[in-house]
Amino acid sequence: MNLEDYRTLFMVVTLGLALIAASPAIALVVSFGGGSEQFSEFWLLDSNHAAEDYPFNVSAGEMYSVFVGVGNHMSSPEYYKVYVKFGNSTQLDFNSSKASSLSPLYEFQGFVGDGDFWESPVTFGVQNVSLVDKVLSVDNVTTDALIEDAVLSVDEVIINGMIFPVDAHTNWDAEKGGFYFRLSFELWRYDTVLKSFMFHNRIVGLRLNMTDS
Amino acid sequence: MGSWLKFLVVSVFLFLLVPFAVPWVSATNGDAVPLEVAEAEEALVSAYDVVLEAEESGANVSGLLDKLTVGGEYLAEAYVWVRLGNSENTNRLAGLCHDVAEDVQSDAVELRDETKGSWMSETVVVMLGSVVGVILVVGLCFVGWRVFRRHYRKTVLGLRPEVV
Repeated sequence: MNLEDYRTLFMVVTLGLALIAASPAIALVVSFGGGSEQFSEFWLLDSNHAAEDYPFNVSAGEMYSVFVGVGNHMSSPEYYKVYVKFGNSTQLDFNSSKASSLSPLYEFQGFVGDGDFWESPVTFGVQNVSLVDKVLSVDNVTTDALIEDAVLSVDEVIINGMIFPVDAHTNWDAEKGGFYFRLSFELWRYDTVLKSFMFHNRIVGLRLNMTDS
Repeated sequence: MGSWLKFLVVSVFLFLLVPFAVPWVSATNGDAVPLEVAEAEEALVSAYDVVLEAEESGANVSGLLDKLTVGGEYLAEAYVWVRLGNSENTNRLAGLCHDVAEDVQSDAVELRDETKGSWMSETVVVMLGSVVGVILVVGLCFVGWRVFRRHYRKTVLGLRPEVV
């Protein structure tokens, strides 16, 4: 190595040490963070805080419990709303990427810090359930229709002790053999840019068999 | 060219309409919101905005978020009573939410200003420290280089046989 080579080496070492010395100030200006995916978790658990024993066979007058929760991984505190809706399978589609047009019965609101979560118990039940037989009239002789032709209607849903009048009805599901309703939970998030709540593309829910109601 | 210009003007016009159109599109739930509830929600959102500013300036806002959640619970219940047509409970809960939101907002403003003040002084210290550090490093390296060069010339070049 000649003197020129040593000079180059000294300059490189000086530059490296200067960068190390300046790194606290550089860190204030340049952000090295980010890159991680931003998302929200949304869950529904049974009354034992597990995903095993969800209410399925539902009877009128009985109360059932679940937990609904939201986990925030959006890199900043978030303002969430959870809408609770009740309807039949055509009104509430759990796989949809759009929010249902049904009006919510109940709602929750929570402010969740980044990396934190919010959870709330939900008790629900139905009452004033009635089976409406379609009466067939053939040659002036009326006969009761089969159950497959009947309609089950629910007039009231109870959520966390509050009674909501509803007008929900469903036909007999021949494929699954029962009358099925759905209790849906939609996650909405406050968008600070649009200054409005936007559907956050997350729906969880329960399929409820009310054949025994 | 003319049709392109028209297309551009219409596109820009539609783009400008988006911010006005989105709130209508997103208002899927169609509830007629009483003034008290709307004001409570506005106060809560306003408090949330200040909490976000405090968080961005480095403050620990977990306590404020817990308080905001209490306000959110009042507001959610107010909305439920709106749907059930009970104006007395609606107004009571909207009022409670409004009170919580105002408390949080004043706390958040205080916290944000405190944190911004300390952040500024910390920033000045860090900047000055970095500048002094860089000057020291460059100065020491320069001195080191001079010493090394003198040593190199004396020892290495001094050993060279002289050419006559």
